[in-house]
Amino acid sequence: MNSPERITRHAAVDRLFHWLTAATVLTLMGTALLPIMGMHFDWVPVHWVTGLVLVLLVIFHLFRSLAWRKLRSLWFSADGRPVGKYSVAQKLMHHAMGLMVLSAVVTGLLMLKKIETPFLTRDPYIFGSHTWGVVYVTHGLAALAAVTLVIIHVYFGLIPENRMYLRAMVRGWVTRQEQWLAKKTT
Amino acid sequence: MEILRVGHDAWGRLVLQGVSWDLLPIAAGIGVLVILGHAVYRLIRGKPERKE
Repeated sequence: MNSPERITRHAAVDRLFHWLTAATVLTLMGTALLPIMGMHFDWVPVHWVTGLVLVLLVIFHLFRSLAWRKLRSLWFSADGRPVGKYSVAQKLMHHAMGLMVLSAVVTGLLMLKKIETPFLTRDPYIFGSHTWGVVYVTHGLAALAAVTLVIIHVYFGLIPENRMYLRAMVRGWVTRQEQWLAKKTT
Repeated sequence: MEILRVGHDAWGRLVLQGVSWDLLPIAAGIGVLVILGHAVYRLIRGKPERKE
């Protein structure tokens, strides 16, 4: 990032967070959904360990967002003017992904009580069968939402007019002209 | 098509077991529909003016 024409869009730590989150979400989807589609393997250990990595990433993101960012820039303006560097579509995707991940993480943490782990005593009786049913349905809905959202996110990340956002998520920068055009067309 | 998976507990009561995995192709289909919808929108409206 030496040229004055280039503007940093994503700091290295945010890019690392994004790609680690992508890797964990894809691993979680693979370990959960491949057995359903007939590919059988010992998926539970990989799934819960990866889930815990996602929990740490979520905590890091929440802490970083609350401590360093302007929360106002996460929301939308009433008059249609852009707020912060993200477009309305990008914010909607973030909020949908956030809701999906939080639902999966909270229910997933509860479901750890149903299996043997080195740090938790298994106790499936902390909830009744009805409550566990609600937990399972919520976790499953998050998994279904993940399928839809990942397909949409990857598509909009790869289309030519959004190539600059993909490059920014890999290398960190956009040009001033790209930033200006993005604000104009948002 | 089932929306929820249900079973019975030790007392024979109906309990939820999760969402039906029959919904998996529908979740993927919604994603594909959004892609197709956007592709049609782009065909009608033309490409945006952003350049590299």
